[in-house]
Amino acid sequence: MTQHKQDANNTAQKLAQVIFARVQQAGAEADLIINEGSSLSLKAQGGQLDEQVVASTFIVGLRVVLGEQVGAASSEATDPDALNFMVDQALANAHHSAARPSERISPLAGELIADSADLNPADDSTMDEKIGFIIDLERQLSARPQIRNVPYNALVDARQRQQILTTSGRYADQSSAQVVAYVYPLAEQGERTAMAASVAYARSFRELDGARLSDRAYADTLALLGGHPLKSARYDVIFSANVQPQLFGAFSLMWSAKAAQDKVNPLRDKIGTLIMDKRLSLVDEPLNRTGLGYRLFDDEGSATAAVTLVNRGELITLAHNSATAAHFGVANTGHAARGAKSPLTVGLHQLQLQPGPDSQATLHQGEYFEITQLDGLHSGTNAISGEFSCGASGYLCYDGERRSAVRGVTVAGNLYQMLHQIVAVGDQSHWNDSRHSCMASVRFADLAVAGS
Amino acid sequence: MLSPAIAQTVIDHALSLGADFVELYVERQLRSTLNTLSASVDSVQSGVEFGIGLRLVFGHKVLYGYTNKVGADELRRIASELAAKDRRDPVTQASAFNFITSADQHPAEKRLSQDAQLDAKIAYLLAASSAAFAGGSAIHQTKGACLQREQQIEIFNSEGLHVQDVRHYVRTSLTAIASDGSDQAVGADNFGGLLGWEVADQHSAATLGAQAARQALVNLSARPCPSGTMPVVMGNGFGGVIFHEACGHLLETTSVAKQASVFHDQMGQQIAHTKVSAVDDGTLKNAWGSLNIDDEGMPTQRTQLIQDGQLTSFLVDRLGSAKTGYARTGSGRRESYRYAPASRMRNTFIEPGPDSVEAMIASIDRGIYASHMGGGSVQPGTGEFNFSVQEGYYVENGKILYPIKGATLISTGPKVLREISMVGDNFSLACGMCGSVSGAIPTTVGQPALKVDAILVGGNA
Repeated sequence: MTQHKQDANNTAQKLAQVIFARVQQAGAEADLIINEGSSLSLKAQGGQLDEQVVASTFIVGLRVVLGEQVGAASSEATDPDALNFMVDQALANAHHSAARPSERISPLAGELIADSADLNPADDSTMDEKIGFIIDLERQLSARPQIRNVPYNALVDARQRQQILTTSGRYADQSSAQVVAYVYPLAEQGERTAMAASVAYARSFRELDGARLSDRAYADTLALLGGHPLKSARYDVIFSANVQPQLFGAFSLMWSAKAAQDKVNPLRDKIGTLIMDKRLSLVDEPLNRTGLGYRLFDDEGSATAAVTLVNRGELITLAHNSATAAHFGVANTGHAARGAKSPLTVGLHQLQLQPGPDSQATLHQGEYFEITQLDGLHSGTNAISGEFSCGASGYLCYDGERRSAVRGVTVAGNLYQMLHQIVAVGDQSHWNDSRHSCMASVRFADLAVAGS
Repeated sequence: MLSPAIAQTVIDHALSLGADFVELYVERQLRSTLNTLSASVDSVQSGVEFGIGLRLVFGHKVLYGYTNKVGADELRRIASELAAKDRRDPVTQASAFNFITSADQHPAEKRLSQDAQLDAKIAYLLAASSAAFAGGSAIHQTKGACLQREQQIEIFNSEGLHVQDVRHYVRTSLTAIASDGSDQAVGADNFGGLLGWEVADQHSAATLGAQAARQALVNLSARPCPSGTMPVVMGNGFGGVIFHEACGHLLETTSVAKQASVFHDQMGQQIAHTKVSAVDDGTLKNAWGSLNIDDEGMPTQRTQLIQDGQLTSFLVDRLGSAKTGYARTGSGRRESYRYAPASRMRNTFIEPGPDSVEAMIASIDRGIYASHMGGGSVQPGTGEFNFSVQEGYYVENGKILYPIKGATLISTGPKVLREISMVGDNFSLACGMCGSVSGAIPTTVGQPALKVDAILVGGNA
């Protein structure tokens, strides 16, 4: 551990010591989230650097449990007055909360520390290299035929550290780095225009491949430029490796034991029953280090582990934090999600849809609509009912070959029903670009597509 | 919050590095959030945010950094780091600060810093929940929320500006979930403004709960929406989200200056039906998207964007003005000190017209009445948008036949502006949050009901 890290640990533990002393004096127990980060963001325009943002953040989030009541408060300042105010606020908030007998501070003690070179690699690149990267990316992409400009682009290099401390003696600490580059080239041909986003993620700047990102953005945008609406009808649909996790993500409430406790999760009474086609199995794998969503512990400091949510179509468990686990009398699955400024809930880490039995030839047999972009997932989905209706673009395909580009259509369905209406589950799985989810391709039957 | 002496030394230092313009944005924000679940309190959170954003401008290039620390040394260090690649001989000198207290056009009585009013807020949300349950036996769950913020800002710049302002935001919402044993449906209502907890006097708990329950019950009985290109009547109030997303964002110089807006070269041209006039007004008293000054310290104003279908103004911030030559409109906004300001909307709406909703529906052979719109998004470069319908009805031969679910509208901003053929007389406003390059900010949308002659409706029928 570097001297800097050691100093930071000491800082966190000193902060916790001061805060916990005041909390315990009031007869409460508590946990503390300390999030700190630094980032560099660069944008280019017209072959020159257009914007540079340098940021460092620090926030402390306190949760207190006073008897059976829970309150929380946060602060971005760490002077004694600010910390005392935060503790007083959290205790005052607890006095207003309803009794929540299942929500306790984790009794766990001991250390969990994740700070390895693969999660948080040293950065040997220079500022000039990073500036050169985004300028070259914007300039070279802008110079390609039919591209008017690249109005939205950025290189973001960020490092995050989360420390969790509890009055019971738990200390959990994870540091990680992530570098993201994105481009939105604007293509035009006569009065037609098109813009498609392409994003690349990596742990370190050196891993980014600007030429590949540029080629992909150019190809996707030109394809979209030549796209046309499909004839309105029902089509078999395959969502791309990026879009399928987005669709599952929009319905993540279905895995939430908190939503089940709140009686809004439609799967709350379905444990042990078939909730989808038997060819589908879903596992959350927080410790898969290939992914950028690796987590050694959750936001209560509980150790994580691979959790099978669905096995051959059967719902095995929901995702639990310590409070929902106590409420339902089951094991904590290590899915606590809490921000410094937000209350305790649950969230998945790295959802994996396991490869199925069907060959790529079977998966891609005949005609289907490959959707490479869904627009409006944040607003066009209803996780309680399962319905969604979104704008879409992609390709009309036949026997695995992209025959024509498609844009200007909508696709609508009900995910909970669709999961029973599977044509095929491919025998290969693919990480999405953000490397937070790895899924086999699924061919869904007869989705309503509206176009021309 | 920051001593003028420290601000002066930081600005002097940044100018000595060759910056054309330097600005310090200091922010302290109190926040209180209350959530209820049916008849109980689910969570109570509060917090204090504090930080300083430092913006250096070299030509048209923006260098931005921020910190939680107040000291001059830290701020000078950030300035030096930002300017490392652009350092040159000084090109201008700082003007002495001229302190201005912005006139408070949006008074707030029950302020967060005085009392979080938690007991009153709990009583309000639980009353709203009771009203929702009273709406029908199919209502089986409610979720309530109340968010109150008090944002204190102070701005210094190298042109001598020194100004302070305090903004009081409050917003309440209730979501009702209805179930018939096999299907579930959702309804929601919300209300907010740039004021204190006296907002509760303007929108009663009973109204909040009853509206959420009514919509949940309508949606529970809804049938899948038919699809295809057809006429659509968009309801008043939050229906204005389409104009906000599909047109408003395209009028921000953030997009215009990059030629990433389809309207970038259409000033003075007919871009909408002659019945359409649109405004972005930051001065509406106590409205959710109003301000006294924008986040660059300029008094806010009413900006006529479209008059009788003709494009009359963009939304212009300082940098947008420098890049495009249009005068600033007091539209520089940001979520917090973590963001450099950008041109953004405030209270954006289409002005009322002469037509009734009944006449619009009566004019439809086969189409949709989208009485309450949900959210959506837009691609600024192409103007393509998508929006969900939160509550809608299928219309045939001039009559509403049944409620629909799972409807999405897609088109492009320029196209839909020309397809508006009837403008209603039932103008109203609604509040929302707008996310863009400078973060998530409170904005109001609004319109009377509008009839769009042809738009692609996606559904699952």
